[in-house]
Amino acid sequence: MTGFITRRLLLLIPTLWIIATLTFFLVHAAPGGPFQSERDIPAAAKEALYKKYGLDRPLIVQYGRFLTHAAVLDFGPSYANPAKDVREILFESAKVSFELGGWALLLALLLGVPIGVWAATRQNSAGDFTAMSVALLGVSIPNFVLGPLLVLWLSLTLFWLPPALWTGPSSRVLPVLTLSAIYIAYLARLTRGGMLETLRQDYVRTARAKGLDERRVVFRHAFRLGILPVVSYLGPATARVVMGSVVVEQIFAIPGLGRHLVNGAFNRDYTLVLGVVLFYAGFLLIFNLLVDLAYAWLDPRVELA
Amino acid sequence: MPAVRAPAWLVTAASLALTAWLLAAGCGGRMATTSDASGREYFGSVRVPGDRVFRFNNAAEPEQLDPGLMSGQPDGRIARAIFEGLVVADPHTLAPLPGQAYRWDISPDGRRYVFHMRPGIRWTNGRPVTAGDFEWSWKRVLDPATGSRYAGILSVIENADSFNQKRADASQVGVRALDDSTLEVRLVSPAPYFLNLLTFYTCLPVPREVLARFGDRWTRPEHLVTNGPFVLASWKLRESMELVKNQTYWDQANVKVDRMIAYPVDDQTTSTNMYKAGVIDWQPSGNVPAPFLPFMRKYADFRVGRQQALYFYSINVTKKPLDNVWVRRALTHALDRATLCDKVLKGTRPPWGLFCPSGYVGYTPPQPVTYDPEEARRDLAKAGYPGGKGFPRIEILINTSEDHRRIAEAVQAMWRANLGIPVDVANQEWASYLEKTTQVKYDVARRSWIGDYPDPSTFLDIMRGGDGNNRTGWSNPEYNRLCAEARMEADPTRRMKLLSQAEAVLLDESPVIPVYHYVTMELVKPYVRGLYPTVLDYHPLKFVSIDPDWREHPEPAGSDSTLAAERQP
Repeated sequence: MTGFITRRLLLLIPTLWIIATLTFFLVHAAPGGPFQSERDIPAAAKEALYKKYGLDRPLIVQYGRFLTHAAVLDFGPSYANPAKDVREILFESAKVSFELGGWALLLALLLGVPIGVWAATRQNSAGDFTAMSVALLGVSIPNFVLGPLLVLWLSLTLFWLPPALWTGPSSRVLPVLTLSAIYIAYLARLTRGGMLETLRQDYVRTARAKGLDERRVVFRHAFRLGILPVVSYLGPATARVVMGSVVVEQIFAIPGLGRHLVNGAFNRDYTLVLGVVLFYAGFLLIFNLLVDLAYAWLDPRVELA
Repeated sequence: MPAVRAPAWLVTAASLALTAWLLAAGCGGRMATTSDASGREYFGSVRVPGDRVFRFNNAAEPEQLDPGLMSGQPDGRIARAIFEGLVVADPHTLAPLPGQAYRWDISPDGRRYVFHMRPGIRWTNGRPVTAGDFEWSWKRVLDPATGSRYAGILSVIENADSFNQKRADASQVGVRALDDSTLEVRLVSPAPYFLNLLTFYTCLPVPREVLARFGDRWTRPEHLVTNGPFVLASWKLRESMELVKNQTYWDQANVKVDRMIAYPVDDQTTSTNMYKAGVIDWQPSGNVPAPFLPFMRKYADFRVGRQQALYFYSINVTKKPLDNVWVRRALTHALDRATLCDKVLKGTRPPWGLFCPSGYVGYTPPQPVTYDPEEARRDLAKAGYPGGKGFPRIEILINTSEDHRRIAEAVQAMWRANLGIPVDVANQEWASYLEKTTQVKYDVARRSWIGDYPDPSTFLDIMRGGDGNNRTGWSNPEYNRLCAEARMEADPTRRMKLLSQAEAVLLDESPVIPVYHYVTMELVKPYVRGLYPTVLDYHPLKFVSIDPDWREHPEPAGSDSTLAAERQP
């Protein structure tokens, strides 16, 4: 077990290095550069800015500098906000994204999983069909449609909730709902599928044959295996949901992580893009590791090697 | 100043939201609009916020708060609220009013200004603001090592350009503090707009001791020292900025709001939603999604005004066959701007056939370019391409935006139909588009220009040969001479005449094709006072107040919703 974790953690280093290298050369290969605008920049200004951020040096020197600094999580200041470090910007936005993603995920788990279990135990009943049809709708409606519809209804017609921003508890409601809708729906479908398969297993039949009551069979025996697909989905999904959603952040003007990647790339804000990509990659890799560990814990047949 | 570009990648979402909004409006979503006793209809909530607070959308996260280094409108809006220059602009006319200088003398030849500092003015750290602060701040902007992108604003000052281009040293620059309360400025030429330039954020003073101590981080709220009507209380990145009234400001008795909150929302639909729900009191121009515009005209709080800005097509004159003036004239004559504005833009912006926008006092513009397909075909024949035969394929370069695309497609169709030439439209994202236009690697490109000060030279100067904003490769000796002469001319009438002649040369040579005149389109709650549409789309926030009894008071002056009916002169 310890060996497994150590090996996986060590593997993080070359993976991150490859990602960092690819991203570095890709962002520098994009046409144009930072500090451009529709208005001409005086030659002196461009020279001074390039010198200040080391952009006047050969690319390979910049690369070396970037790698050594990135190793200690120092990405330098953001070009689009020189009074702040990329690291500081990342942590501030991460707090917001983690909160938004955390609520959305919690809501998805609290609603999606029970709905899935409930539907599985009533396979092909009217309730099952209704739940799964609604879930299908949830999976199909993209958040950039759902978000504006919720805003239109709850903010601009009923004036109940603020239409945007991230100030106070009431501002959390709409973005959390918008972000979690697809996860609620997906988790419900996934749980139902997993549970249906498990409920047909021999050991479940054995449990029933022993005369255990149905609730015990479902929750003590079937549930642990039935939610395995959910767990494997949750790893990457958690990483994705807490790393911010570009669309939800845009619609509700939330200062999370998601939009840094897009805006950073558009602004040719090299330091910011590199910081976000590495942060995201590291997070995703660690989450995948956690999922593997959770697997071993939930299913005794899985061996970590 | 570059035109604000729409973040276009969420256009889909915007249009979907619009569809939903229209559907709901059609199905009886009547609570969305409010009207008063006189039957005027307002867009959304008109409930007055309880306290003396003014909330607005600053439309983007300011890059920085260092006035000498900043280059964007959102940055400028905050900077001009927390710093104050020698003069401030009148909120209505933008005419210079006394600021940190309480009076000034101008020499008869118009080239020497002496400013007298207001007694008793202080920085927020208690130190008096001196003439030396301005000398130091301006020389810092011009210092090539500073890297100020707007250093060009000060280029009318003697030796300013030379110092910025490392051909002179700081002591030769024509700005000098004669003593703590007197500042002398010597100009290269009698620029009648010099005082207007001083209202630009680049000319705001900065506290040198704070810069020396904290470096780049001096603008963080915990270190920031300012001298304006408001102070920065908090800055939450991409969330909000809070400004509170500066109790030590010399004119604080006339500052009528205690707090201002600026949100950095760059999504147009979100911003408009926030306005409608009453979360913000002011949505500056450029933030109503384009598909909404035709529906907004009926609202009394949708304010339209002329903006000193032009949307134009720029031609690369270094490339065949566009190096031929007859080809350029043909393209100019074949562009039907009136139809374009009417059909594509639904009359939201007026067509414009001149390079300089309207409204310059004392300036008589030359004949505007006109749409004349017959003339266009004759021009093309003179260039050696009768009926468009043998004309190589040309490409219109645009940056990603629904409006730019629709306009380019209309122009493409007009050129094809009127001239019989093959035209493509090429779409590039912002940075790639800028790269191509700055390096003049395109055939025809969509561009825009926003004036920095109320004078035709803010437009005409950019088309001088070799100017960094020319970006067409066009350099005309006659034009360059007229601009240079106008620059040195002390007599205002003769000066304006020279500029008008220069514009005539420009239009005749057609390296640029004017398309439409920008207008400002703001949303301002009816209870907000002291905020007017201005030609530079610049709003001195010092004068803003909230009137809780707005229903009993007359409509503020300066609102102009009749622009749709206006047409080209």
